[in-house]
Amino acid sequence: MSPTRREFVVTAGAAGAAVVLSRPQAVFWTAADQVDAGWEPGLEDRITSACLVCPARCGIRGRVVDGRLVEITGDPLHPVSRGGICSRGLAGVQMLYHPRRLTSPLERVGPRGSGEWREVSRAEALSRVVERLGAVREEGRPEGLALLSGYCAGTMADLWRHFLRTFGSPNHVRDEYADGTDTVMALTHGIPRAPGYDLDRAGFVLSFGAPLFESWWSPIQALAAFGGRGTHEGRRPRFVQVDTRFSRTAAAAHEWVGVRPGTHAALALGIAYVLIRDELIDHRFVAQYVSGFEDFTDATGRSRDGYRSLVMRNYRTEEVSAATGVSVSRITELARSFASTRLSVAVCGSDVTRSPSGLLEGLAVHSLNVLVGNIGRPGGVMFGVDPPLQPLSEPILDATARSGLAREPIGTPGAQFGGGDGPLRFAESVAGSTDSQIEALLLYYANPLESSARPGVWREALERIPFVVSFSPFLDETSGYADLILPDLLPYERWQDAPTPSSYPYPVWGLSRPMVDPPAGGTHTGDAVLELARGLGGSVAEALPFDSFESLLKARAQDLFASHSGMLFGDEFERRHHRQMEQRGWWLPEHRDFESFWADLVVRGGWVDLFYDETDPSRLSRRGDGRIALMPGELLQALDEEDHTEAPFGPISRTRSATAAEYPLLLIPYRLSTLASGTLALERWLVEQPSVLPGVFWRPWVEVSSGTADELRLADGTMVWVVSSRGRYRARLTVFPGTARGTVCAPYRLRHPDGELANPLQLLDETRDPLTGLSAWFTTQIRLERA
Amino acid sequence: MRRDASARLAGMSADEQALLRPLLETSRGFKITAVVLGGIVLWGAVAYYLQVRYGLGRTGLNRPGYWGIYIICFVFFIGISHAGTLISAILRVSKAEWRRSITRSAELITVLVIGFGAIQPIIDLGRPDRVMNVLLHAQLLSPLLWDVISIGLYFTACTVYLYVPLLPDLALIRDSGIKAPRLYRFLAAGYRDTPPQRARLERAIGILSIIVIPIAVSVHTVIGWIFAMTLRPMWHSTIFGPYFVMGAIYSGIAAILVAMAVLRKAYGLQQYFKAVHFDYLGRLLLLFSLLWFYFTFAEYLTAFYGGEPAEMRTFWAKISGPFAIPFWSMVAGCFFIPLTLMWRQSTRTPRGTFVAGIAVMIGMWLERFNIVVPTSVNPRWEVESIGHYIPSWIEMSIMSATFSGFILLYMFATKFVPIVSIWEIKEGREESVQQVSDRVAGYLPDIPAVVAGGESG
Amino acid sequence: MARWGMVIDLDLCTGCGACEVACKSENNIATVPPDQAEMGRAISWMKIQSHLEGEFPDTGVLFTPRPCMHCDNPPCIRVCPVGATYINEEGIVGQIYPRCIGCRYCANACPYTAKYFNWYGPEWSPSERRHLNPDVSTRPKGVIEKCTFCHHRLQKAREEARADGRDLREEDYQPACADVCPTRAITFGDLDDHSHRVAELTEDPRAMRLMEDLGTRPKVYYLASRERNAP
Ligand SMILES: Nc1nc2c(c(=O)[nH]1)N[C@H]1C(S)=C(S)[C@@H](COP(=O)(O)OP(=O)(O)OC[C@H]3O[C@@H](n4cnc5c(=O)[nH]c(N)nc54)[C@H](O)[C@@H]3O)O[C@H]1N2
Ligand SMILES: Nc1nc2c(c(=O)[nH]1)N[C@H]1C(S)=C(S)[C@@H](COP(=O)(O)OP(=O)(O)OC[C@H]3O[C@@H](n4cnc5c(=O)[nH]c(N)nc54)[C@H](O)[C@@H]3O)O[C@H]1N2
Ligand code: SF4
Ligand code: SF4
Ligand code: SF4
Ligand code: SF4
Ligand code: SF4
Ligand SMILES: [Mo]
Repeated sequence: MSPTRREFVVTAGAAGAAVVLSRPQAVFWTAADQVDAGWEPGLEDRITSACLVCPARCGIRGRVVDGRLVEITGDPLHPVSRGGICSRGLAGVQMLYHPRRLTSPLERVGPRGSGEWREVSRAEALSRVVERLGAVREEGRPEGLALLSGYCAGTMADLWRHFLRTFGSPNHVRDEYADGTDTVMALTHGIPRAPGYDLDRAGFVLSFGAPLFESWWSPIQALAAFGGRGTHEGRRPRFVQVDTRFSRTAAAAHEWVGVRPGTHAALALGIAYVLIRDELIDHRFVAQYVSGFEDFTDATGRSRDGYRSLVMRNYRTEEVSAATGVSVSRITELARSFASTRLSVAVCGSDVTRSPSGLLEGLAVHSLNVLVGNIGRPGGVMFGVDPPLQPLSEPILDATARSGLAREPIGTPGAQFGGGDGPLRFAESVAGSTDSQIEALLLYYANPLESSARPGVWREALERIPFVVSFSPFLDETSGYADLILPDLLPYERWQDAPTPSSYPYPVWGLSRPMVDPPAGGTHTGDAVLELARGLGGSVAEALPFDSFESLLKARAQDLFASHSGMLFGDEFERRHHRQMEQRGWWLPEHRDFESFWADLVVRGGWVDLFYDETDPSRLSRRGDGRIALMPGELLQALDEEDHTEAPFGPISRTRSATAAEYPLLLIPYRLSTLASGTLALERWLVEQPSVLPGVFWRPWVEVSSGTADELRLADGTMVWVVSSRGRYRARLTVFPGTARGTVCAPYRLRHPDGELANPLQLLDETRDPLTGLSAWFTTQIRLERA
Repeated sequence: MRRDASARLAGMSADEQALLRPLLETSRGFKITAVVLGGIVLWGAVAYYLQVRYGLGRTGLNRPGYWGIYIICFVFFIGISHAGTLISAILRVSKAEWRRSITRSAELITVLVIGFGAIQPIIDLGRPDRVMNVLLHAQLLSPLLWDVISIGLYFTACTVYLYVPLLPDLALIRDSGIKAPRLYRFLAAGYRDTPPQRARLERAIGILSIIVIPIAVSVHTVIGWIFAMTLRPMWHSTIFGPYFVMGAIYSGIAAILVAMAVLRKAYGLQQYFKAVHFDYLGRLLLLFSLLWFYFTFAEYLTAFYGGEPAEMRTFWAKISGPFAIPFWSMVAGCFFIPLTLMWRQSTRTPRGTFVAGIAVMIGMWLERFNIVVPTSVNPRWEVESIGHYIPSWIEMSIMSATFSGFILLYMFATKFVPIVSIWEIKEGREESVQQVSDRVAGYLPDIPAVVAGGESG
Repeated sequence: MARWGMVIDLDLCTGCGACEVACKSENNIATVPPDQAEMGRAISWMKIQSHLEGEFPDTGVLFTPRPCMHCDNPPCIRVCPVGATYINEEGIVGQIYPRCIGCRYCANACPYTAKYFNWYGPEWSPSERRHLNPDVSTRPKGVIEKCTFCHHRLQKAREEARADGRDLREEDYQPACADVCPTRAITFGDLDDHSHRVAELTEDPRAMRLMEDLGTRPKVYYLASRERNAP
């Protein structure tokens, strides 16, 4: 049906007979020449803020014309994004003005999921939540409250944590970027934090499957470095991408190394082999700061092979080449340039850690950085620190709270070295138990019915929870199951701090501030939490004595001002100047008092400290022996205790067992950079053409090589069922030369135009890394059927 | 009225009776056909209404497939229009006597078909409501504008060229009073076939037939240029002007043949459209099938030999790619079928020429298709993805409506004017026979005057 | 008199598509429904053309962002019967939407397929209309549209410069796509002004233009070092 019919009705209706006579353009057979946006000549303003669409938290500038946000562009002063921005950020205006955006609290009237709602006032909605939560506390079961939060960092995260503690619930379930690299660092360096990479000043970036230019922690950080924008002389690091598919990162990088699925680590150690064999490692560094390189005897007096002997024994280039499919000469080449280039970094992608032995593979990749000693110095791997914000004062916990916190969080224990898929374990345990463990569930930035690998389990869990509140500004799947929806404001309407993710080694505290007026019925979830606390009264209220989220942010900024370090966002020149000053140990105050500091901070968009103390040993290792452990004791122990087959740097595991005839193909899910977070599927500019590689429109697709397509006798463009032992979904087959034979690359976050989900993660088998509990995303066998 | 009309008719000469009868008597077959065709036309009108109302999106057109059915039909119909005018003019100028019975039907085709051709580009417009901009904001560098001009000129010329030779017959009908007296009084415009009038008429026709030839040639040249002036592969070609004119005449001849064959059956005009007419036109068809092959071969060889990548993509798309079927059908229709049928006397019969004519018309339509679509969907830039074009039912309906509309109009025309020029036939019988023998005699060396020996006393 | 032009460094382009979306946002470009998009009716004044070659693992690609080339000798304007597409004295090729009769001749004449047609009218829900850019008119159904080098930005920049009583600076007039590119692959400025970066970049040995042989004299240059980049 013609999309212009509605258009026509509107114009013709508007036009009317008189117009027909006076303005021939307006008769039915011509559209009106202009779409009437009701423009009044208005004031124009550019407002600096931060993008909250993804974890990168880039700096943005909103162009606001008579109260409407008409355009988003990058903020040139932001130290990480430097004016760069991605399509997701740009399309934000389509999220803000999305027709299906919720503008008033909704209360369920029909049965759950029936989609029958009635609008209620903010006050009414809030009081209802207070009632229920109050009751939960009355019963003395504060642990009956649970929060499921998606990606949330900074003060919102702290606020929730604080709220739950004072309330007395241990059940804060996080569904956010768990890429396992923090665990790797915790073991090797004793620093439980995802590593930062100083890409700007690096010389050679060897990325193992990290989607640097797509859905990495901060795609824009990587892109800026790639564009040579980090250093004023415009030096560009050389990017080499190791990947199992021709990802856009691989496509754009200087070099692409295509490897067999699950063999990133083998390649890394193959490179290590050459480094050691050809004496290319930084002996001084290794001798001085590293443990476990040479053979050693552990605490129990048992003598063990060191990294060197293991690698020399197990990773001869020929074998590595056979396993990875990368030629011996290429491996040697990579090793040589990795060693010879000043400041080389190996970046570990979550695709490495999201495999059955992900933790060990992560170790393997990171060991390259250790061998060349490019750690804790500019251009290398660095461990950032958080901005020195005023901590939320330690609350006085009442008896109820203490009793609740004493309980085990539901769904624990995870694995020994990491929470693993907390949300799923939570859902399983709730769905499994007969008694209602959970009285009330709060959903913040979380939509498990869409995004969880097991939406079925989540549905059951939700059935068991009497009171579900969603803060989502959109009626997503899970909110559809809620009893009450208190729509959050959208990013361009609210105050929120935007610290950049740890991939950027320097502390950055960006600030998102309102650019347009929020709808009357919306509530900043931060304010909502504060109001809840007030409503609950007692120790909970005392712990959060802030009248608004804005004032909370302002209060926390006091310590930034007091820290006598860092600078407000400024241009390249100011940044360099500030860095040099701090290296000399100087810091000049720019503001008389806090008020002027805050005012200026809001205008400039944030605070950054570009000084990194290379002399501080605690930035190399915080392990007992102060060394970087290539063979972490606790890991070895754990591996001995449980009956683990593999050991660190052990023989190349001949996985990829003979694939069952029933499911001959390997599923490779990947995150679509344009749609990386759930809400983005609402933005038509992004969904119309979600990828330039290959050219596809609107509909979900899967990629196979022409060889595979021929074998299956499926033509390019046919609709297929993607079937695993766990389920199936519909997608369009796309022949793509960048796909390895026998594999199917499946982008996720796509939906059919009618809203039907197409989520490959819901086909994933149960394989997990027993050490981190993270589910492996690249082990699932599938088949394709004509739909 | 009817009765005395036929009574009057009975009183007329054999030619007049035979040729005027269709004006009075309408067969059942005629009515049924008319109704069917009328239905199709209405259907097409509905389709066009929908297109205008909701936008060109209702067609199968897209990016880069910007042009389709409408432009194809535009080129095709204007091509057909070369039937009458050009051919009859050439025959007139070259005093080919066998023309007498065919010129009228041919000229009628021309005038009626131009209109249908000319509206195609308007149907193709995204904003038909702004068509007047072509005059208000005329941009003379645009070949489309040259087209507007030449077609306008052509149409006027052809109408005059049809009308002037009609006068004696109109006058005849008026005087015989067998049909709509008032109408014919008006049409005949006081022409009274007096010798001086007739003389002036003949001179006018003579001049006209010379004028229309260059105009006709210009029309299809310019249409060829619409494509040739762009930098698109297999459009940007100097041969297009003449190539299009040749093709136009070719399809024109085919059209006449088909028309003649049908009229012959429908109105029992075997006496006027004789085997010899089909034979002669058949020879012309043969000549043009060879010409067509020559031009086409030259065109494709040049493209192929140059081997420019952009050209080659389009080239192979036609020869062996997605457009192979239309391409080779075209070759069959425009070359092999007419060639095989027309080069033997035995198949240059009315039936043979009819078949050949149909084949050529289809072939020439396909030729327009093979020119417009493959280039359109194969962008010059190899990085750009190749397009597809599948006409929508709207386009198909409008096309069939155009064909039906034309046939319908032609049918009606035969109800108002004798489809064979009565006076020219008469003139032929009365004067030409003599003239021709004189002319032929004129070609021959004079017989030396025999000096008769004087007989004296 | 300025000659506005663009230089796109293909070695820096990662095909992220930010420029495409920036252009859509800046110039009020509506999306089309799925079936329409698959017919090839989606509109993208700036289009990332990905040219893939080779099979796994030797796959290679060339991303070529393609705005309108703003040819100095544009084949598209000559053929327009109503002069609805024109080149101004500063070399910017523009469209007059209210005059266009939608014959799509210019679209066929453009060797870079840079022109887009409104097969149906644009579709904006009332709420979406709120983010339309007031500086740029929306296009009705049935007319051609294409990249304008964000000409409206030049007009605004001029007014501002005049208001401040100074000359136009290079940074005053930057189109949306150049504005947002995270790797700064797109440079924009006056090709004739040697203080502008574009002027110097066109001297770069890597510099080339698309289909130079056609004599269209595009004002969009590409920098490409890798051999396979040469289109
Ligand atoms: N813009 C944006 N960025 C985001 C987010 C967002 O919402 N928006 N979300 C953030 C969050 S929550 C997360 S969890 C991360 C997710 O980001 P990632 O954890 O990086 O997830 P993907 O991008 O899907 O990366 C999966 C990659 O693994 C590769 N791979 C495929 N098979 C194998 C295999 O067998 N072995 C190995 N080792 N690798 C394989 C695939 O090619 C693919 O490139 O993104 C974060 N970044
Ligand atoms: N299909 C698919 N499934 C996935 C993933 C994927 O990329 N695709 N990624 C996996 C990974 S790594 C993770 S971390 C999880 C993440 O999955 P989730 O935690 O569900 O994160 P999202 O789906 O990005 O966002 C959840 C919901 O947040 C709501 N939201 C959007 N904007 C706002 C806002 O401003 N305020 C509030 N309060 N809510 C808002 C939206 O309704 C959205 O549906 O999903 C996992 N599962
Ligand atoms: S990378 Fe993330 S934060 Fe940066 S602009 Fe894109 S979406 Fe926004
Ligand atoms: S924004 Fe820059 S990098 Fe991204 S596609 Fe456009 S030109 Fe290429
Ligand atoms: S690129 Fe095409 S549209 Fe743009 S000026 Fe050149 S010919 Fe005209
Ligand atoms: S489509 Fe419009 S701009 Fe293009 S040639 Fe026709 S009238 Fe001119
Ligand atoms: S210059 Fe302006 S109009 Fe042209 S592509 Fe870039 S953003 Fe779009
Ligand atoms: Mo995540």
